Amino acid sequence: MSDALLVRPARAEMEDFLYREARLLDTGKFEEWRALFTDDALYWVPAGRDDIDPLRHLSIIHDDMTALSLRIKRLRSGHAYAQDPASKVHRLVSNVELGAHDEAAQTLQVMSVMLLVELARKRQTIHSARCEFTLVRAEEGGWRIRRKKVNLLKNGEVLENTPFLI
Amino acid sequence: MFKNLGDYIRTDSVHRAIYTDAEIFEIEMQKIFDTTWVFLAHEAEIRQSGDYKTTYLGKHPVIVSRQADGSVEALINRCRHRGPIVCQSDSGNSKFFRCPYHSWTYENSGKLIGVPMPQGYGKSFDKSQLGLVKVTRVAEYAGFIFGSMAAEGPTLEQHLGGVTKFLDAYVAVSSTGRLDLFEGTQKCGYNGNWKYQVENGVDPYHVGALHLSAVTPAAMEIYKQGSGSVIAMDGHGVTDHTDFGPMPADASLSGGFNLVIFPNLIVLRSQIRTIRPIAVDRTEIYTKAVRLPDAPDEVNLVRLRDQEFEFGAAGTFFTDDLEIFERTQEGLQSGAVDWLVFARGLDREGMRGGYMTSNMSDETQHRGMYQNWKRMMTAVAAAPAVDEVSA
Repeated sequence: MSDALLVRPARAEMEDFLYREARLLDTGKFEEWRALFTDDALYWVPAGRDDIDPLRHLSIIHDDMTALSLRIKRLRSGHAYAQDPASKVHRLVSNVELGAHDEAAQTLQVMSVMLLVELARKRQTIHSARCEFTLVRAEEGGWRIRRKKVNLLKNGEVLENTPFLI
Repeated sequence: MFKNLGDYIRTDSVHRAIYTDAEIFEIEMQKIFDTTWVFLAHEAEIRQSGDYKTTYLGKHPVIVSRQADGSVEALINRCRHRGPIVCQSDSGNSKFFRCPYHSWTYENSGKLIGVPMPQGYGKSFDKSQLGLVKVTRVAEYAGFIFGSMAAEGPTLEQHLGGVTKFLDAYVAVSSTGRLDLFEGTQKCGYNGNWKYQVENGVDPYHVGALHLSAVTPAAMEIYKQGSGSVIAMDGHGVTDHTDFGPMPADASLSGGFNLVIFPNLIVLRSQIRTIRPIAVDRTEIYTKAVRLPDAPDEVNLVRLRDQEFEFGAAGTFFTDDLEIFERTQEGLQSGAVDWLVFARGLDREGMRGGYMTSNMSDETQHRGMYQNWKRMMTAVAAAPAVDEVSA
């Protein structure tokens, strides 16, 4: 058995990571969720289609960690009226696949499909998305997110109000 | 419904029915959207010969298409045979539009050029009479392309009035005198009347309240330190804070101005926002972001990232706007009291530079737009042409 196979993470470990990431968002633990990201991370929800150039094309969300921290601070301010009360959200994470594993850089690509069910203003909305994560092995052990890209199925369509973290 | 639609608008208030009555909405589609100038496209969306975008003029699906000679046609996106839309892409480049149902094919000028087995229609069949219906008038000002379904009426420049000088100033932020657009569109929908967005595009009063969680202290200085004004300008709404500084290249919330060009165009900061009324309680908003062709990449990146962070369906400002539009539609189901208050500034506004103008937080600009609504809704239809009468 080669060394590469020995160090390649198991899918179960990645599933646990993604389930926790989803649960932190579902339960409104936004600061803990933010702490999963590296400080140079990108949180990206493209608009129009999945493969846009974000320097030339509008995105739904394209946050560096400064912007994401501001977004969370706003949600906590008591004056984010579109989240008063906060949306109730369930995320179902499925179809988890492990992509390229760069041992030197200690990074791993992980793909999943997410079904997000939101209840707000007495209305239930379903979003489906193919998610792409770039994870990097943390010094303290475990993994952190360097890039989270959420490819919403309807990213080219009219969206209802989407004030929650996707 | 009141017999006289003008009775829904008073000097200091408007009646809730203009937001909730489906019959009034249908009349708006005829008397406003089928009559006045409606914003269709920015020239940067259709710059090359054959470029097109699809949009809506009131209830009409429309194709806006750049012709080989550089002119623009706006065509009703509806096959003359049985009615399907002939183009279903948001944008693209094509010389032809073909309806897949029976393969009727049109040039991008609207001309019908292909009908399978035309002899079956008999000798009187005249393809030249069956082109895509054209939006009656199309005109452009400073790169903003409008259409009107009315053959007669004010020219586009007459319709825009004093707002032309603000559009000139908006374009002048680009030293090339030309605006580019970032690719893509922010598309949002809400279950509420279209006029909430019309009002909200020029409503400085709400910024420090509804947007308390999003607006920065630095931006609030526009309202605290500035002596800006709200203007009722030829039926359109302007909030002018150029006293605080000119429209900034990075489109930050500082100097400049907001424009609501009645009935469906909002121009502010880096955005060109189009309002699409769908039903009395359903509206969609399409927003493009302006890129300055001569500005450094880092400046344009600020324009893009700020636009995304603050606007669109997940924007830190716009989510609260969308929320309040839906709450308003819910609240106005109550007829316990009919009138909404638009009285702010009535006792301190005055004529300045030929236009009724008042303090930054006032509602003068809203009153002006509702007087325009009243004028359009109560206008007597032009007399039919003689040949229509004899027919």
